[in-house]
Amino acid sequence: MSGKALSNSDRRSVPAGAGVGLRAPHHLIVMSEAPRVAWFEAHTENYFADGGPHVYAMEKIRANYPLSLHGVGLSLGSTDPLNREHLKKVSRAVKRFEPALVSEHVSWSSVGGKYANDLLPLPYTEEALRHVCGRIAEVQDVLGRQILVENVSSYLEFANSGMTEWEFVAGVAAESGCGILLDVNNIYVASCNHDFDPLHYLNAIEAQTVQEFHLAGHSRISIEGREVLIDTHSTRVCDAVWELYGSAVRRFGKVPTLIEWDTDIPALDVLLEEADKADAVGASVNAVAA
Amino acid sequence: MPSLRDLQVDVLKAVLSAEDGRAARRVVARGIPAMRRLGIYANNARVNFHESLQASFPAVLRLVGEEYFHQCAREYQKRYPSTCGDLQYTGTRLPDYLAELHVNDEFRYLGDVARLEWLRQETLISADHRPLDFEKLAAIAPSEYAELRFRLHPSARLFDSEYPCWNIWQANVASDGEPEIIDLATGPDRLLLIRRTLQIEAHRLSHGERSFLIAVREGEGFERAVEDGVNCDSEFSAAAALQRFVLAGAIVDLE
Repeated sequence: MSGKALSNSDRRSVPAGAGVGLRAPHHLIVMSEAPRVAWFEAHTENYFADGGPHVYAMEKIRANYPLSLHGVGLSLGSTDPLNREHLKKVSRAVKRFEPALVSEHVSWSSVGGKYANDLLPLPYTEEALRHVCGRIAEVQDVLGRQILVENVSSYLEFANSGMTEWEFVAGVAAESGCGILLDVNNIYVASCNHDFDPLHYLNAIEAQTVQEFHLAGHSRISIEGREVLIDTHSTRVCDAVWELYGSAVRRFGKVPTLIEWDTDIPALDVLLEEADKADAVGASVNAVAA
Repeated sequence: MPSLRDLQVDVLKAVLSAEDGRAARRVVARGIPAMRRLGIYANNARVNFHESLQASFPAVLRLVGEEYFHQCAREYQKRYPSTCGDLQYTGTRLPDYLAELHVNDEFRYLGDVARLEWLRQETLISADHRPLDFEKLAAIAPSEYAELRFRLHPSARLFDSEYPCWNIWQANVASDGEPEIIDLATGPDRLLLIRRTLQIEAHRLSHGERSFLIAVREGEGFERAVEDGVNCDSEFSAAAALQRFVLAGAIVDLE
């Protein structure tokens, strides 16, 4: 990016190339050096403030880069009433920073007014599907726009699930009209933790619903002698996830792809290297297809 | 079959308090005990909560050390679990919690240091405001000042403590080396915190200035605010206070 202010038409879309997660430790370097990256994604809640350095940085960065806002705290799947105060803050952030994409998660994090502040899995039932779709409809109505919802990493399955996770996620998009933010690393993590073929997941999602990919690193722990993958966002994307990403690009085409890194955050150059790698994978898939 | 709500109530209880209750029966084990699977989420919830507190209270963390900080954080989370999806508010009650915990011991100042850190955070994320329009003030004759209501900058926060909390905070956060030893008897602190640009500024206040600013903050007219200042401190000067706080950017509007 040249540092030239974006035109209005550029602000309304995120390019199909790779972007990186915008984190506070990188605010200064992004503002001062205008690195070559297609777009940024930020956690919506980090920009709820009325003023101050983070909001100042976002306004400066937003003038020069397309933006996606990715929320983690709306608790879409909770059976509590939708948190209108939180949604109001999301709405204000959307109006203030004019992101091209707005997203949340197919998960819940609260009930009875208490929050776990983690993305908890849903049982994949008709009741949960109807409930989540109803919530998404409410949010899209308040925000006046389509949102994307992301599949979360999973470390457990509920005994009363009547469908697979991929059937559930596909159903959410089909019934609510939202888009899908397909987290390729989360699919890989879940496939290892629950012994399924990740390609089944990709093939079950309608192609036109996927509007963004996430790529991230994960960690491995051992519980009772069994390996469990944990979605830590703390390291580079592994080879197996790059391979699955290639399959995803072949199926869904080149859509905006985000490199996520939220813990043990490295220098910005490391994220940019991962973004370049994502662009290279996308280009090689398209080259073969052509 | 459990309802979605029943399942969520059981699962959240297991995640927040590790209770081995009904949640475990809802989960497919598949080679790993259900409570260990739920334990992954419990660990995530704890880590996210603790990291949020660490970010909000770096001086407290340095004063008590990681082990005790996390011990306090665990107990605090049990008593005051997060009630919103924005982790910035996890520490809302930590200052009072620490004050109650250490009311008479060697860490009796800790609650006040935590309160200062919380107010700093509030100051940092408050709205901006342009400075006072001097022409607006100049258009009013001094004889009419009595009924004026001045407004403070949205970021303005008043802090007071019998302990030298600002010096304690600086010694533990603003400097890199071993913190110097601060004599607790070198308090008190009476401070005004504001953020006019991107940095927090701290202004030390006299008794009178503090009472004056409290009255302004509460929407009292200028005459009443000056009375409060003078009643507290016979040397309080209305003219000096008005000039000081307008130039400092603390008073930003009038009506």
